[in-house]
Amino acid sequence: MHYESPVREPLITGDKSYHDITVDVAKPIETNAPRSWWIALSISLIAFLWGVGCILYTIGTGIGTWGLNRTVNWAWDITNFVWWVGIGHAGTLISAVLLLFRQKWRMSINRSAEAMTIFAVVQAALFPGIHMGRIWLAYFVFPIPNQFGSLWVNFNSPLLWDVFAISTYFSVSLVFWYVGLIPDFAMLRDRAIRPVQKHIYSILSFGWGGKAKHWQRFEEVSLVLAGLATPLVLSVHTIVSMDFATSVIPGWHTTIFPPYFVAGAIFSGFAMVQTLLIIMRKMFKMEDYITIQHIEMMNIIIMVTGSIVGIAYITELFMAWYSGVEYEQYAFLNRATGPYWWAYWSMMTCNVFSPQFMWFKKLRTSIMFTFIISIVVNIGMWFERFVIIVTSLHRDYLPSSWTMFSPSFVDIGIFIGTIGFFFVLFLLYARSFPVIAQAELKTILKSSGENYKKLQEQDHGKH
Amino acid sequence: MASDKTYWKGIGELENPELAQKLQANEFPQDIPVDEFLTEQESNSTSTTRRDFLKFLGFSTAAATLAACEAPVVESIPYVVAPDKLVPGIASYYASTYDDGYDYASLLVKTREGRPIKVDVNPDADYKGDVNARVHASVLNLYDATRVQAPHKNGEETSWSTLDKDVVKALNNAQASGKRIVVLTSSVNSPSAKKAIQTLTDKYETASHVSVDAFSYSQALDASEAVFGTRRFPFFDLSKADRVVSIGADFLGQWIGQGVSKAYAERRKPGKDMSRHIQIEANMSLTGSNADVRYRVKPSEYGAVLAGIYNRVATAAGEPTINAPKSSIDSKLDDIAKDLIAKRGKSLVLCGTNDINNWMLSYAINELLGNFGTTISTTTFSNLRNGNDADFTQLLADMKGGKVGVLIMAQTNPVYNNAKGAEFAEALSKVDCTVACSDKQDETASKATYLCPTPHALESWGDSEPFDGHYSFMQPTIRPLFDTRQWQHCMLHWAGETTDYASFVKSNWTDWNMNVDKVLHDGYHTKSIEPTSDVTASAVDKLASVKVGKPSQGMEVVLYEKTGIGVGNLSNNPWLQELPDPISRVSWDNYITMSAVQANDMGLRNKTRSNGAIDGNYVTVVAGDVRIENVPVLIQPGQANDTIGLAVGYGRDGVGLAGDGVGVNAFPLSVNGAHNVADVKIETQDGWHPFACVQLHHTMMGRRIVQEVTLDTFLNEPATTENHRGWNERTQFETLGEKMTADKANLWTDFDHETGHFWNMSIDLNMCTGCGACVIACHAENNVPVVGKEEIRMSRDMHWLRIDRYYSSNMTKARAEEEGVGAIKMYAEMEVPSESPEVVFQPIMCQHCNHAPCETVCPVAATVHSAEGLNHMAYNRCIGTRYCANNCPYKVRRFNWFRYSENPEAFGVNYALNDDLGKMVLNPDVTVRARGVMEKCSFCIQRIQLGKLEAKKDGRKVNDGDVQTACMQACDTGAIQFGDVNDPESKVAELKKDKRMYHLLEDVGTKPSVFYQTKVRNKNA
Repeated sequence: MHYESPVREPLITGDKSYHDITVDVAKPIETNAPRSWWIALSISLIAFLWGVGCILYTIGTGIGTWGLNRTVNWAWDITNFVWWVGIGHAGTLISAVLLLFRQKWRMSINRSAEAMTIFAVVQAALFPGIHMGRIWLAYFVFPIPNQFGSLWVNFNSPLLWDVFAISTYFSVSLVFWYVGLIPDFAMLRDRAIRPVQKHIYSILSFGWGGKAKHWQRFEEVSLVLAGLATPLVLSVHTIVSMDFATSVIPGWHTTIFPPYFVAGAIFSGFAMVQTLLIIMRKMFKMEDYITIQHIEMMNIIIMVTGSIVGIAYITELFMAWYSGVEYEQYAFLNRATGPYWWAYWSMMTCNVFSPQFMWFKKLRTSIMFTFIISIVVNIGMWFERFVIIVTSLHRDYLPSSWTMFSPSFVDIGIFIGTIGFFFVLFLLYARSFPVIAQAELKTILKSSGENYKKLQEQDHGKH
Repeated sequence: MASDKTYWKGIGELENPELAQKLQANEFPQDIPVDEFLTEQESNSTSTTRRDFLKFLGFSTAAATLAACEAPVVESIPYVVAPDKLVPGIASYYASTYDDGYDYASLLVKTREGRPIKVDVNPDADYKGDVNARVHASVLNLYDATRVQAPHKNGEETSWSTLDKDVVKALNNAQASGKRIVVLTSSVNSPSAKKAIQTLTDKYETASHVSVDAFSYSQALDASEAVFGTRRFPFFDLSKADRVVSIGADFLGQWIGQGVSKAYAERRKPGKDMSRHIQIEANMSLTGSNADVRYRVKPSEYGAVLAGIYNRVATAAGEPTINAPKSSIDSKLDDIAKDLIAKRGKSLVLCGTNDINNWMLSYAINELLGNFGTTISTTTFSNLRNGNDADFTQLLADMKGGKVGVLIMAQTNPVYNNAKGAEFAEALSKVDCTVACSDKQDETASKATYLCPTPHALESWGDSEPFDGHYSFMQPTIRPLFDTRQWQHCMLHWAGETTDYASFVKSNWTDWNMNVDKVLHDGYHTKSIEPTSDVTASAVDKLASVKVGKPSQGMEVVLYEKTGIGVGNLSNNPWLQELPDPISRVSWDNYITMSAVQANDMGLRNKTRSNGAIDGNYVTVVAGDVRIENVPVLIQPGQANDTIGLAVGYGRDGVGLAGDGVGVNAFPLSVNGAHNVADVKIETQDGWHPFACVQLHHTMMGRRIVQEVTLDTFLNEPATTENHRGWNERTQFETLGEKMTADKANLWTDFDHETGHFWNMSIDLNMCTGCGACVIACHAENNVPVVGKEEIRMSRDMHWLRIDRYYSSNMTKARAEEEGVGAIKMYAEMEVPSESPEVVFQPIMCQHCNHAPCETVCPVAATVHSAEGLNHMAYNRCIGTRYCANNCPYKVRRFNWFRYSENPEAFGVNYALNDDLGKMVLNPDVTVRARGVMEKCSFCIQRIQLGKLEAKKDGRKVNDGDVQTACMQACDTGAIQFGDVNDPESKVAELKKDKRMYHLLEDVGTKPSVFYQTKVRNKNA
């Protein structure tokens, strides 16, 4: 068995046995939902339906229902798209990269982080679809054989790369997530009393028997998928950033974008994980599994990625000056001092300054403070995309075309709708899926569980 | 050998022949209770038999099938006998004329399948007229379903015979009772129309003809009468003028009807012969924005300025001077006068107001400068303006006094466009019989007893004599769409003539020794006029009567005509309403233009909304008894302090959805035909007015967008030098090695543009006056949608071709460097235009980049490059991601945010795309774009294809000039040139080598197929 130094903080607190973990994880599924869950679901559902209404209105009437114009042809649509894709980054990073680096602390958070990833990518994938003027012809973007002769998609277009990147990322994440769920579904199946539930979980668990061979295959598949998913963590947001980086628009045309976007994505992803888990651990009383230590670890990642993002912002400014290109220089000056200065400084405050508080241990171990910062970071990262997209476009090369952008109620409605949709999915998930990868967690109980650590220490004392 | 073998059908037949036979006779072996069924009570009680049921079933199935298969019924009737020479898909061209008493132009009308779809200037005509945006747009008014479609009496439809009977009776009564019969028109230049009026006035003793112009030049005409002995304007020849000094004359916009922009542009070619143009004016006019030097002066000072110039010129010529107050620009006048004297006989001083004193002075200056007979003709006179305000005032008095029996009004609308409109409306009730010949139930027509609907110029016969000896002919290009009659025809008819106007004009032409067929084919005819030698035109000796008043101290309002709307004759034209004003770039409005300083003093503001749209404060303009309420204020750089500008032609009523209620009517201010009114009060009002402005940023921010040099630099310094210090150098970049220009750095594989055609366009910024005719021509040619005021406010204009206008700013990069101003402050100050800025225009359409940023980013390859250097747009393939538009550095791509066609609920204002009749104007060669699709300038690819096909059919090469884009064709001054640069003989190939040539934003590396020619300003050294 894996040995862990007693110096390290335990990852599972409290006097837990294997059975206790099983019971704790299965509890939200096996008990009736609390009132607060129903209230949250109702609110999310209303927001979701409002968003659906706005989307249908857009498709029925035209993109003109949004606030876009001849100069700013993308705004909230692509801002939301990039924001959601960014949020979707933490899940894969936690489950794949941290798996490869054997970070055991990931085990109590990776399930929910991955769920968050998938639900966020679902939201993100909506936008490239609905932002099209003619969504009914969306199949044109797939390289499918057609009756138009030799007509093919344009492989030069980053938008096409997006299609591939997002769909690959989504499918790999989904499979990875599902594979991890199999032993947990089996646990639920074994505990289920009601026949329908039992039947459903037995289908979902793919006949898992818990044999040694099963475990061996499970480990192998996990490792392979982790290997596959790791480059995707880098590729997806790299490609998303190329939507901008390959263009000629000052403020978009920047080679720093790929690493900058990836760092920003991890930054925002972890912030969203914090937001969700802090609520969840409270609601489902999982403080023993998602400990202050977990929150602190994530806060450190937020601090590091936030600083990387900050450096990227400053590098952009430096490059604008150093390049000697007046359009570039003006673009950045305009960001900071032009009509959208408030968006730029919101972004700077939220993304660069606020994570710096995490240098203080007291603050980064405060749950309330973490929660607030996680929201602030998410707001900041939304503004980052807004700043990149809108403030670059609204004043580009020819001043005659300069204008402003203001969202319509439909823009806002669709964004709220995706937030609603995201929470509907997450709330449903929280009551029907094991929110902690209990099978994995059990593997570290005896090495990282608080009570076992104490026992070990006592053992040591004896010798 | 015959055989009597029997064949059995089965073994049963052999074994039991009786049964077989029995079965054969009986179709249904089992007993069917037919009788029982038929006698059943229930089935008998219904009248539907089985057979009927089957019939019904069969019929309804067939009917349903047919109904499902049938295409929707389209309202088209095939030709029973097809007209000769009408080939579907091939356009026919007819020479004709546009003349509505305000605008005049010699036209070439393009018709397709019998419907006129586009008008262009008649390229052969020796005098072409003023082929402005309005004339180009007039074709749309033909298909305006809100035109009056039948004769009316007291607002009720009536028949022509009733109307004729009533009018003739009224005419006879008037004659019998000795009351006046008056034919009231705007300026009439048509000899046949004059003759028709003559016929009527000859028939009735008490009849007379009165002309009154909407935007009056009556006093100016009086001045001309005093000087030349004829109450007409002389021909001003700008092509002979080395120096043009204009005092308030917006001759490139609207002036006295004579289109001069072509002649002006001829002398704007940079070189030793380039003219110098000095503009002294109050409003920032189209002409002022093209001037080399522009001074801001209040209109009440125009007299002092003219007198100042006169006195200086007179002193030099040894003539006596006149008494005159000093003007605010006296210090500049020495130079101006010196400059004019140096160019004796080759200069021109133009005057713009309707003030006899100013005009007398301007004529006197020209006379002293020896310009009579050179730049001002003393033999050729214009018939384009002949309104007489005195006659009108007399008429109004007579009307009030009940002395007028019959008033026939044709192509005039005094209730709307005369300062005394309200009085006139009231006086109409005192006239026994009022007849309005109009195409609309407009302000005047709705108050007349009889309304005679008139046809559009494209449905009419006629002729014109804009200048002595220059004739132009009007022929219908379509059968009248409605039950209309030309007003000239009415004159003849009511005079008792039986001939129709078509025969009348033709017989006139024969009488005047013209070949009817030839003149109709050519569209024009020129007769040499014997110069009347005994006329000695002189203004100087008549100066005694001239009084030059002191400049007023108060606020002055300067009325002007906008390029798009003019005096409002074509108000219900969505193309014109949406055409942005070339200076303010505001569409769908008129407003007060005011300088920033003045606005600040008065606490008036323009504010920008969160979506960029501009709002302005409201004011009330009070001039004597006249109050004009709810006029929005727009801050206008270049407006003289203590003056405000206000455009006429707005605030219409009864013309249709596009024209009604747009702006306010400024004509009531034009008391006695004045163009400017002194001592105006401005009262601020509450509320914000929404402006639809397409350009929200007015300066170039120190960027190399419109390149400009002075004539001295152009003549004396090299464009490019080895050490990169010329005035037309490419931008250089620092690289690791040496400095490089954008054309050397290339990531891409170049297209082969050596073989085949390579279509390029040259735009000469020196020639472009910003008039906007090309924008309208593009609308008409390419079915460009109109989106309406609200959408323009959302920055969603659909213009494929726009004319950017930039003002100069006090802050420049050089100044910032000199004064050590930081970048943030520098850019902030650069955003603010100067109080009296220099103005540049830049037409921008798709630049057809050869390394097009839009092409690489489209995920579905909907926009691709052609072998001929064009950037194609495949509408069918477009899915509308708008990535291309984002990535376009020139922002020329236009997205269909909504369904702009067949969507009358939302875009009904644009009847060209949303009304069955209006849609007749669409060019069948160009697709109407669907919602969700990107569109942009195609270089008129339909014309390129046509040009190539015609050449191929003839078995020859495409010649230079075979293919002309709509904008090039519309451009009066020749600023736009299009052609194949691979043809070394072509004009555009030569222009590409010009030392003024540059590509817009060349440093982005887009390699555009459009290039610009540097603007050259002839400033004093």
